[in-house]
Amino acid sequence: MTIPADLKYTKEHEWVRIEGDTATFGISDHAQEALGDIVFVELPEIGRTVDAGEAYAVVESVKAVSDVYAPVAGEIIEVNNALEGESELVNTDPYGAGWIAKVKIGEGSAELLSDHEYNTFLEE
Amino acid sequence: MSQDTTFKYSATVGIQHEEALLFERVHEAPSSIHLPGIDGDISAELSLFSRQQAAGIPGLSEPETVRHFVRMSQWNHGIETGFYPLGSCTMKYNPRVNELLVRLPGLAHIHPDQPEHTVQGALELLYELQGWLGEISGLPYVTLQPAAGAHGELTGLMMIRAALDARGDAHRRKVLVPDSAHGTNPASAALCGMHTVELKSGPDGRIDLDELKAHLDDDTAALMMTNPNTAGAFESDIKEICSLVHAAGALVYGDGANLNALVGVARPGDMGIDCLHINVHKTFSTPHGGGGPGGGPVAVNEELAPFLPVPRIEKNGNAYTLAHACETSVGPVLGTAGQIGVLLRAHAYIAAFGHEHLHRIAEDAVLNANYVLHRLQERYHVPFPGLCKHECLLTDEWQEKHGAKTLDIAKRLIDLGFHPMTIYFPLIVHGAMLIEPTETESRETLDAFCDAMLDIADACEAGATEMLHEAPVKPFRRRLDETQAARKPVLVWPVEQP
Amino acid sequence: MRFLPHTGSDRQAMLDSIGVSGMHDLFADIPSEFHVEKGSLKLADALSEAGIVRKFTRAAEKNHNASNSRYFLGGGTYHHFVPAAVDYVISRGEFLTAYTPYQPEISQGTLQALFEFQTMIARLTGMDVSNASMYEAATATAEAALMARRVTRKSRVLMAGSVNPRYRAVTANYLSRLDGEYAEVDMGAFGTDLDKVIAAMDEQTACVIVQYPDFYGSVYDLAPLHAACDANRCLMVVAFSDISAFALIESPGAMGADIAVGSGQSLGIPMGFGGPHLGLFTCKQKYVRQMPGRVCGMTSDANGKRGFVLTLSTREQHIRREKATSNICSNQGLMCTAAATYMTLMGDAGLATVARHSAAALQSLVSQLPAHVSAAAGAHYNETVLSFAGYAARERFLLATRNHDMFAGIPLEQIEAGVDTRHLLVATTEMIEEADITDFLAALEVSL
Repeated sequence: MTIPADLKYTKEHEWVRIEGDTATFGISDHAQEALGDIVFVELPEIGRTVDAGEAYAVVESVKAVSDVYAPVAGEIIEVNNALEGESELVNTDPYGAGWIAKVKIGEGSAELLSDHEYNTFLEE
Repeated sequence: MSQDTTFKYSATVGIQHEEALLFERVHEAPSSIHLPGIDGDISAELSLFSRQQAAGIPGLSEPETVRHFVRMSQWNHGIETGFYPLGSCTMKYNPRVNELLVRLPGLAHIHPDQPEHTVQGALELLYELQGWLGEISGLPYVTLQPAAGAHGELTGLMMIRAALDARGDAHRRKVLVPDSAHGTNPASAALCGMHTVELKSGPDGRIDLDELKAHLDDDTAALMMTNPNTAGAFESDIKEICSLVHAAGALVYGDGANLNALVGVARPGDMGIDCLHINVHKTFSTPHGGGGPGGGPVAVNEELAPFLPVPRIEKNGNAYTLAHACETSVGPVLGTAGQIGVLLRAHAYIAAFGHEHLHRIAEDAVLNANYVLHRLQERYHVPFPGLCKHECLLTDEWQEKHGAKTLDIAKRLIDLGFHPMTIYFPLIVHGAMLIEPTETESRETLDAFCDAMLDIADACEAGATEMLHEAPVKPFRRRLDETQAARKPVLVWPVEQP
Repeated sequence: MRFLPHTGSDRQAMLDSIGVSGMHDLFADIPSEFHVEKGSLKLADALSEAGIVRKFTRAAEKNHNASNSRYFLGGGTYHHFVPAAVDYVISRGEFLTAYTPYQPEISQGTLQALFEFQTMIARLTGMDVSNASMYEAATATAEAALMARRVTRKSRVLMAGSVNPRYRAVTANYLSRLDGEYAEVDMGAFGTDLDKVIAAMDEQTACVIVQYPDFYGSVYDLAPLHAACDANRCLMVVAFSDISAFALIESPGAMGADIAVGSGQSLGIPMGFGGPHLGLFTCKQKYVRQMPGRVCGMTSDANGKRGFVLTLSTREQHIRREKATSNICSNQGLMCTAAATYMTLMGDAGLATVARHSAAALQSLVSQLPAHVSAAAGAHYNETVLSFAGYAARERFLLATRNHDMFAGIPLEQIEAGVDTRHLLVATTEMIEEADITDFLAALEVSL
């Protein structure tokens, strides 16, 4: 189970990559493993603004459904349409090709953990 | 385990046919079935709308049709095939005489809108059933209209909402639901324009009184509860629970899914429940039919009676009638008076027991569940110790140490000749296995089932995880790929391209 | 008691092994004040099987039924022919006494039958997909309205007044406790003018619900409505009562329906005084994840063999709970198997024959009406409204037909409150013979 060092994490098992004024969101390796085979991702509409900690997407496995919460606030500028035909990308490459959405960063952030802090949090 | 115990507890499997889909059979459709009626012209106006391309429904001759479906039926397990201990579903024997009764022409071939004086026999049977359900539940005012348990929940909540509005309490829109509740409970509340708040169950799996008190307030419309609860335990604090809810100005909704533990022995209405739905396909033996049709009559107290849906089956003197107009009614919840054929079966079932024997249903159901619990409790983790009611709850905690989960145990049971129990419900324990034998099972069957469960426990401890993960190997199909089915749903057979 | 296998000694041995002294110990957790004295409930005395048969036979004989009458009743429930083989298939214990296919390995019979059912219903209605059924047509219509609101994220529901009054009432009921507007469009007396509906549409409209053929049996082109729905970004929901129509006339799918819902009772299911019937729910592929109810899908097993499972379960209540697409937990199960068996016996050719005979019977009747009775204008499938000079004339007719063992129609005000009491809703099927038409017309003469 991986926790890349160049990302930040939330206690809801999301990750965020911040590059300038944009942020990319996804769910962590731990989350995808816990959910099992992902069968569908309900992507947000482009242009929608989300607050930090607000549910912006839904991830479905065969037997479970999970809201995905925004690590930082922002306006959705891009969504990963590849997930429509290949939801398994969230399982196979959660930090890369399995990204979910990108935002133009706005005001507000959830509590962000470093890779060490997230690892500690998982061990508790 | 070197000795193959696959056949030790059940008979061998016979010939099993593959059977292609109707649409895969490549042959010319037979000439049309000989049908009655007027073989004349349709109107010129109607012919302008004639369907240009046939729908693409292949026909088979009658012998081929019968064989097609009979072969498919043989891939199914049913109550008539064997033990079916699905917790919360009450898979009891479905009396065959009931099938005969609903096929009497005077009951099968009548239209819901016939003049009432031409259907008095049907109305009489339904009216009598209403009374019996009122008597059994202790809530005298009954609607037979809801088509299923979930539909009954919606109907009950509609009535509760109407009663609160009538009291001047229209702001009360919060429904308290234990975390052990069936998923239909919060879904029904949402459909009724109410929101739910989850109550954490106590350490014994029951409603925690402090948790309840903390959540009761001026916004509370109702508590929805199941008694016995979904872990198979009776909520012994029921009197106080109902008192607290009523004192807070709210009402108690009873989910009657587990009525089989109480029928003829105790009455929810006496305990303070205001509104109860009854699953006739559970408690009153109507067949499950592969998923339906069911029936969810709702019984209520006097306060809620004015809000019962329409039409209502009533008696005026010696005549039975369907009353359609009622100002206070929550309105119709179905296009007809109910799942009549299902209700008639429930009537016949109650008629077979009568007042003399009805309590024996609950007695034998509870006896059977406790017998199974007692035989298994040394080898399977029991999250809430003590006697159970009509169903018992186990978890896979001890088997997980050996690499086996509830799912594997269930699949191995199939290979040993038994339909699995309900798995992963209720959600308040990890790896739940909910076993409801019902009263129509013999001691031999219960012992065979328990022996098979003990065999599986042995297999887990002996480290036979591969066998468990591969199970089932015997039935018509092995484990099916549900991920593929959900990722790329194929819900219809594609139309052939010309 | 023949449904209880235990003997007294079985029970005693089991109580002993549990370690309790008597049955009462097993119920000690129920406060004693709630214990009902055994046998004291006010129910009838227990009946033997023979006694139950006798009771039901007597009750059934009090009812006049379609097997020995001439039947012109419709309004949402129809007297079509039910082949004996259909009844046989649904009497098989493996279909009758099985539960929801949660363990698909041992439920492939139910599941393959459901897949065939879904396919045939989708083809008959001309839609992309069907679910595994709803309770019946009125609740299916309500669920269609809820789905349209989810799909469009708008909340206004527009309902044509020519939809079955019961479908309208249940839909209005379901919506009444939720935010959003529900509005009905008065189509006039048996009117088919879609301009009225189109005029009532706006940008907030999530869907328009029409019935085709409508409650009065009228068949007319929905193309103008379809165009208007597209322009307003709202869904066209088409309801239907007698699905046999679509073996003869264009399907709701061909008319452009986004969602098509209705009754499948005409497919091998007896009238049964109102139930159990069969609710059908179909829609376009792109909306499938918002579709309520159970649905069966194709897949393969661990050996690579084709099989079927319930799928898209995450829409449903047991997973989404209060965010579910619906609270529905069951389907009409056995009635799907009945419909699948019926459609297999019939095939396209048989279904078309049923439809043609049903329509031809109506045409025979309507084309020979005496001058003092009129039928609603326009194309009709197997149902229409006959209008009399007045209430008295209609009642004379109905009395005359009762003397001929005929149920000649439903007084329209019985289903549609508030209409004139001189109209009769009349339906025909392949169960009508020439002699029935002759006698019907003869009785009409009496009513003059």
